Amino acid sequence: MAKHTGRGIAAIEYPTGMNQNGDPSQCWIKVKPDGRIDVFAGTADIGNGSKTIQSQIVAETIGVPYDWITYDNSNTDSSPVCTGTFASRATFVAGKAAEKAAQEVKRKLLDIAGKELEIDPSDLEIVDGEVVAKGAPQTKLSVGDVAAAATWGHGELITGTGAQLKPYAAIVDPETGEVDLPPHSAISYAACSAEVEVDDETGEVRVTRLQQCYDVGRALNPSQVEGQIEGGAMMGLGLGVLENCYPYYPSVEHRGGAFGSYLAPGMEDMPQIDTIMIENPSADGPYGAKGIGEMANNPQPPAIAAAVYDAVGVWVTELPITPERVLRALEAKAEPRREGKKVVFDEELSVNAVSSGGIRFEVPA
Amino acid sequence: MKVVGARIPRYDGVAHVTGRTTYVDDVRVPGTLWAKALRSPVHHAAVTKLDTSAAESMPGVHAVITWEDVPLLEYGHLSALGIPADEPLLAKDEVRYLGQPIAVVAAESEQLAAAAVAAIDVAFEERPALLDVRAAFDPDAPKIHQWGNWYPHFENEMDRRQIRKGDIDRAFEDADTIVQGVYRPAAIEHAPIETQVCQVVPEPDGRLTIYSCTQALYFSLGVVAAHLQQPLNRFKLVGGTTGGGFGGKVDTATETVTCLLVLKANRPVKWRWTREEEFLCSSTRAPWHMELATAVTRDGWILGQKMLTLHDAGAYARFSPYGLTKHSFHHTGAYSIPHLHFDGYVVFTNRVPTTAMRGFGVTSVSFAVETHMNRIANLLGLDPIEIRLKNANRIGDTSPNGVSYTDPSTVDTLKAIADAIGHELPADYRTMTNEPRSGELLPEHLVAQVGSTEGH
Amino acid sequence: MNLTVNGAACEIDGSALTPLLDVLRDELGVTGPKAGCHQGGCGACTVLVDGEPRRSCLMPAGYAEGAEIVTVEGIGAPEDLAPIQQAFVHYYAAQCGFCTSGMLLAAQAYLARGGSDDHESIQEALAGHVCRCTGYAKIIDAVAAAARGDSFDLTTTAVGKHTTMATGGAE
Repeated sequence: MAKHTGRGIAAIEYPTGMNQNGDPSQCWIKVKPDGRIDVFAGTADIGNGSKTIQSQIVAETIGVPYDWITYDNSNTDSSPVCTGTFASRATFVAGKAAEKAAQEVKRKLLDIAGKELEIDPSDLEIVDGEVVAKGAPQTKLSVGDVAAAATWGHGELITGTGAQLKPYAAIVDPETGEVDLPPHSAISYAACSAEVEVDDETGEVRVTRLQQCYDVGRALNPSQVEGQIEGGAMMGLGLGVLENCYPYYPSVEHRGGAFGSYLAPGMEDMPQIDTIMIENPSADGPYGAKGIGEMANNPQPPAIAAAVYDAVGVWVTELPITPERVLRALEAKAEPRREGKKVVFDEELSVNAVSSGGIRFEVPA
Repeated sequence: MKVVGARIPRYDGVAHVTGRTTYVDDVRVPGTLWAKALRSPVHHAAVTKLDTSAAESMPGVHAVITWEDVPLLEYGHLSALGIPADEPLLAKDEVRYLGQPIAVVAAESEQLAAAAVAAIDVAFEERPALLDVRAAFDPDAPKIHQWGNWYPHFENEMDRRQIRKGDIDRAFEDADTIVQGVYRPAAIEHAPIETQVCQVVPEPDGRLTIYSCTQALYFSLGVVAAHLQQPLNRFKLVGGTTGGGFGGKVDTATETVTCLLVLKANRPVKWRWTREEEFLCSSTRAPWHMELATAVTRDGWILGQKMLTLHDAGAYARFSPYGLTKHSFHHTGAYSIPHLHFDGYVVFTNRVPTTAMRGFGVTSVSFAVETHMNRIANLLGLDPIEIRLKNANRIGDTSPNGVSYTDPSTVDTLKAIADAIGHELPADYRTMTNEPRSGELLPEHLVAQVGSTEGH
Repeated sequence: MNLTVNGAACEIDGSALTPLLDVLRDELGVTGPKAGCHQGGCGACTVLVDGEPRRSCLMPAGYAEGAEIVTVEGIGAPEDLAPIQQAFVHYYAAQCGFCTSGMLLAAQAYLARGGSDDHESIQEALAGHVCRCTGYAKIIDAVAAAARGDSFDLTTTAVGKHTTMATGGAE
């Protein structure tokens, strides 16, 4: 019985936003008479932290403290459309709508403030909840006073609305797949190194370390980004070595109906996770942000598979890489078939081996 | 910047750690009935008998819903994108997967609801099941879907998603080596700690309040409204705080049926799936079957990639055509490959319909392309980071479907990892950037694929 | 049947065989413990029974008669957070929050029996609590910090201890 260590590399890319776009998100904001900000959005927070991110964006854009923001995404009577929290779109698309709504609120606040201070709005800025004359900081008016003036002086309701929608890339050429418009809001990138320890007697694969570098455009909340990266890493680890709805796929037999028979990763499966974040800002995301939530579980399975090869010299290309699969591969010591310049792996898995001719994958030698 | 970029604590952090965050199951409405479903015990069968009268007449049972109660029985998850509907909300004449809901009961207690489900008189005539996507195309395969065994409604009624770029035969001719492999990632569960759940309350003004765990309030609102043939403001969907989703709570699996029960019973109803239902009956990530044949030069240029993808959609289409399309647009991974031949099929099988899960469409590509790339590096005796850096997307390179990359950072992320693991790169690799290809990084075979370097 | 929940005496109408989880949530309206699986597999239903973390979904309510039952609501409140709750906020140890109640109580019991900031010990103490969101790392960091007796700045969250921020790429 011996444990062997190995390392594998993977590099990935992943789009932000619904494929082919056409996925609106909207936001509307109102300002209370004391300057506090009410934000309404339809984005569900599924743990990704979208309530926090949108609140941060609004606070930053208007220029008020974060705790001035109340955020309501609770129902479809008061919240406007958001297509949903999926496709890694919450920060970019829904966040952009929040940014736009906040920009409108800021313009209106500066307008009213300009009238109150008798200064051109373009010479004013908002810092920490105060409207301040640029270059003359002693000339100021609190946002609360501006809101009060709007309510009881000017008879105005200060609101902002924002809608973010990249036009639907409707045309996909059926022959070539070419599209008329870019089918994403942005693309994020990552690379991963996985280290494993493989027991050649039990076949068990322990993932001991994941070193990952993610380009997130801009980390609007670095802790939340880390949370996605670390949570995604464990989900990717599960996809790589533990989880399977159908342990005897394609059979439906012996499905796990409980935690314990379905192997969701637990604390005992944790590798050390090292995260490097780089920021290559997106062209038009809010503050340069890009999506991160989904891609966080993409690089681990191939990095792990390569690490297993590095450790014990077998390629397992059916996921998860279970102890049984490792042991069978070690026993089989399969070599690829060589034909001309072709090097052919995994022939027994191919459609050519399983179908009775209905579909084939042909490659010239 | 003061707020953006800062490590602000969660907006709902204090609520989470004090047990005060309200999830759907925490909502308490007096008089709420429990829902339980009758589900198919077989993979594929005709429903030859469905008699709910015994269940309906049980004391404490307030409503039983079948397909007959649904105003619009089939509304596709992608109907808004013009993709035809194929899945009945509740099974009509047949069942196509083990666990498919046939009838749903609302009763005074969970036990009563379960007893009523057991009292429903249902009979099946089993049919052969199709479970292996590779066998779906064979003439003797059981036919399990009204459209045939694979989705036939891509553009121009194509039966596959097709990408063609350059000349794959030329790439194979010019290659020094062609590497073939087969990649099969499994179906996995979303397995959020909160199961599928919703609570619907009839309001005095005739509206229905739907407490939902959906990831997509407005998408789910639209699905419910379409099935019930009602305007959007007939419903108030309350949610926005989900106990984990990962793509599994977009399907709108409980809301419509629960609304129908409420309309029939005129009482609030809660449908909370058991963990067993969540594991065995809720939609899953799709299993994928991918075959690659990659034309490479001995010094590590990827000239071309031929790929066949079979996406296991399970019994119904749901979001699968969308997922396969996204997969096809990204099927070269992080690399600029000029000659491409991709065919992808959405294949139906008699298992629980598959759906979006974290990385939908691309997680599978990443596994196939990256494992394959590592095999290629290993076969050619090349460094796995260097071969990637060479072929990595650069500004102006084009994607499989002709879109120019404006800000790729594969080079940056790989260099950062090389640094982190103490892997010394040769000088010409250390100085690589994302800038448009030129000189040695623009060999003849990559010239034609270079597109615009303007932003989008 | 009488139960003592978070220091308060409660009279229960339901059967002694009803799972304690359902009595707490449905009869008493104490919704901190969550129904994650009703199979004892996820830990989201965890409550402290005489200081011990127990799966309330598997415990007949009658078993808890005469014992001190503590749920997450009983260890701290928004205006007066327990150190472990503060730690979870500061270390961003909760995302969707659904596993959090159970996780906190297991951690609280670990701290109460003198648990150290050793990561393996913490993993062992919290093993069997399933979290699908966080990947566990920040949960471990939070418990370790509470074990050390750190004080927590609740206006910010901690930098991940294995995180490097770097700039790169075109701008």
